[in-house]
Amino acid sequence: MPSSRAHALAGLSALIFITLVMPAVIPMGNVRYPGPPPPPTYLPALEGPRERASFDKDRIPDLRRLQPGYVVIGDSMAGTRVDERRLAELSGRPVAPLLQAGSGPAFWYLVLKNWVIASGIEPRLVLIFFRDTNLTDVMFRLDEQFRWALDLAALEREDELDAVVARRLGLLHRAHRAVDDLLGVERARRRLEPAVIAWPVEMMTSSRRRQTEFVARMNERLGLDHLRRMEAADIQIGEGPAFDFGRDVDDSVLPLMLRDASKAGLTLGFVRVQRRPTASRPPAQTPALRRYVDELRAYVTARGAIFHDDTGDPALTLDMYEDGDHVARHARRRYTENLYNRLRAHFQ
Amino acid sequence: MIFHSLDFVAFFVAFVAVYWTLPHRGQNVLLFVGSYFFYGYVHPWFLILIATSTIIDYCSARGMEAWPEHRRRFLWLSVISNFGMLGFFKYFNFFVENVAGVLAAFGVTVHEATLRILLPVGISFYTFQAMSYTIDVYRGELRARRSLLDLAVFVSFFPHLVAGPIQRASFLLPQVELPRRFSAEKARSGFILICWGFFKKLVVADNVGIIANKVFALADPTFYILWAGVFAFAIQIYADFSAYTDIARGTSRWLGFELTKNFAHPYLARSPADFWRRWNISLSSWFRDYVYIPLGGSRRGTRLWARNVLVTFLLSGLWHGASWNYVLWGLYHGLLLLATQLGGRLKVPGGVSGRWLVVPQVAGMFVLTNVGWLLFRETELAAIVRDLMLSPVGVSDLDRQTGLYLFLLAFAYSVPLWIQSLWVELAGRSSAPSREGVETLAPWQRLVLQGVGCGLAFAAILVLRSRTSLDFIYFQF
Repeated sequence: MPSSRAHALAGLSALIFITLVMPAVIPMGNVRYPGPPPPPTYLPALEGPRERASFDKDRIPDLRRLQPGYVVIGDSMAGTRVDERRLAELSGRPVAPLLQAGSGPAFWYLVLKNWVIASGIEPRLVLIFFRDTNLTDVMFRLDEQFRWALDLAALEREDELDAVVARRLGLLHRAHRAVDDLLGVERARRRLEPAVIAWPVEMMTSSRRRQTEFVARMNERLGLDHLRRMEAADIQIGEGPAFDFGRDVDDSVLPLMLRDASKAGLTLGFVRVQRRPTASRPPAQTPALRRYVDELRAYVTARGAIFHDDTGDPALTLDMYEDGDHVARHARRRYTENLYNRLRAHFQ
Repeated sequence: MIFHSLDFVAFFVAFVAVYWTLPHRGQNVLLFVGSYFFYGYVHPWFLILIATSTIIDYCSARGMEAWPEHRRRFLWLSVISNFGMLGFFKYFNFFVENVAGVLAAFGVTVHEATLRILLPVGISFYTFQAMSYTIDVYRGELRARRSLLDLAVFVSFFPHLVAGPIQRASFLLPQVELPRRFSAEKARSGFILICWGFFKKLVVADNVGIIANKVFALADPTFYILWAGVFAFAIQIYADFSAYTDIARGTSRWLGFELTKNFAHPYLARSPADFWRRWNISLSSWFRDYVYIPLGGSRRGTRLWARNVLVTFLLSGLWHGASWNYVLWGLYHGLLLLATQLGGRLKVPGGVSGRWLVVPQVAGMFVLTNVGWLLFRETELAAIVRDLMLSPVGVSDLDRQTGLYLFLLAFAYSVPLWIQSLWVELAGRSSAPSREGVETLAPWQRLVLQGVGCGLAFAAILVLRSRTSLDFIYFQF
């Protein structure tokens, strides 16, 4: 090998080496600026230690007190559709809505396991609302921004959920997590992120009290109440990343939900909500999505659960919808009565 | 597959390891297979389109050479099939919605047969690239290639397939055809570009993108909040798009290829014409060579020149997306260019050195560019009108402070970009960021400096990367 080429290769190797070694400044920074170590997470496959919101244990005595005949679990799809008072009137039994806007299947699984089953209540039916492929996509709404809600329903350890997440993320992500843990990346992030976000406020006012007040007011100014009412505010795309029921189901929380419910003697009812229809017809479904839903239906009914699909129901027309896939407040009662009629056999 | 994923990192490392063990022909086969794997990773049906486009262009070009008297017919075959696919997948819904809207205005209600299919990512980029091949063969500037494999590699070359830079056949095809040797020097500069690109994407673009998204989701923005959001978007789109280009160029160097530059510090432009020499250079030059000049350019008088400029910019706007706001954005930049060109260059007043005008010119152009980004980012025409009418007077203290806060936060994330741009610009060069100003250093000093720079970028990616990963903006085009 000519010496100039060897020289160039040595230079390249040295550059890569220095680049890979430089992140050692992160643990050094952690040592230089020590802080209380954050508690371990219940999802180590996904994230490093962090401060978390506490498990909302009050839900358990609340459920025991209510002794609901029916439980409704889901996100805003259920929240904008089900009028629990009307459902209670129709069914003659109390209804417990355990809903969280912006939640996903991991949250629904934890709610079922840690609140409903843990409370020992014996509802006749636990309804779980979802859209299209949510149930087999454990990563749906598992991003950082949604995790605070997950905290409310999560215990200190959630090994089975973590195992599902780890399987879904794969080997590469585990390697990434290992590097993060080795370097103490999460600790550094927890220290640096607030500093970056806070410095403009610190420049604007030196008073701590004013800084806190301003941040609170700014968050409110940029909060949900000020967002546009877009038609596409929360609308699911039918053809997202490729999906395959047979491939995805074992790396999802669906088998865990069915198993835990069966052990506790509970009947689950999965309600697939209809996405926003067009003026004259239900939302289009690709053959792949139809196949997926057929397989999902067969899977859950074979395991003792009920499956109901709103899609194509002629009673659910466009005028009932507000933004995206959400149903308008004025149509909630109508939706609830329709659902009751469709599932009448299970409500009696 | 996307660059900022662990899947891509693993794919690329394995790819490079195998690639350099193969002879030239084998490398091209691997490039073809790898590029198709990369492109069809999530949606394999995308491959049908790119393969169709490649085969039609291959046959058209061969046909032009075999039957020169029918050259024009073969060109039309290529143009119609390429633009047909692009039009169908990208503009069909836009067309139907607008026709339905017009009919509805006359009281005729029609059922909108809109397609519920995804826009194949990168279709605008590879269509234009493939078109450059057939047009150049038609013009006699390039000979038709006999190897379908080489042409397929040229069209699908994965480092730049999804978001450019658009390469000319005359530039990239010879690189596909000629044997390549691994160059550690090129790999080194490529590595620096990749690190810088990832830093721009994950630390800068994705973090300021959150600010822009937040502001553009507001139903009631006020003046300061809105323009802070527009500023954030300006930073986001530059960091995001140039990051993709840097990663594309860097990875290409590891494979023995060189791609053309796509950006030259556009926010330091002094005029609209200067901006378009610095922004998305590969697309601008494509439109210049294949639309503006064939239309007549500036050769046929002022009126036709103005028409040609406007047509070129309108098409350029429409290229970005099937939406009226992109058309408006193109029109705005066309008018801006016409206004400044017709008005003549800003004359240096007596006694004032031209150098002192640079700062107001750059600042003024940056403001004008931001107005353009508002048109680009805001998809609702009514909201654009509302936004342009917003007054800086009578805004509440909270909104003023919120705007200032968002601006400062976006600015903080963008500081590395400004430093790099100013460094390169002041050094009077426009090559890779790692090289400017360091030529005078000893080789080992340069190496350490580059290593520390890349290492710090890597560390920053680890600890400051956004927790919300956003797609590259130009994927949607």
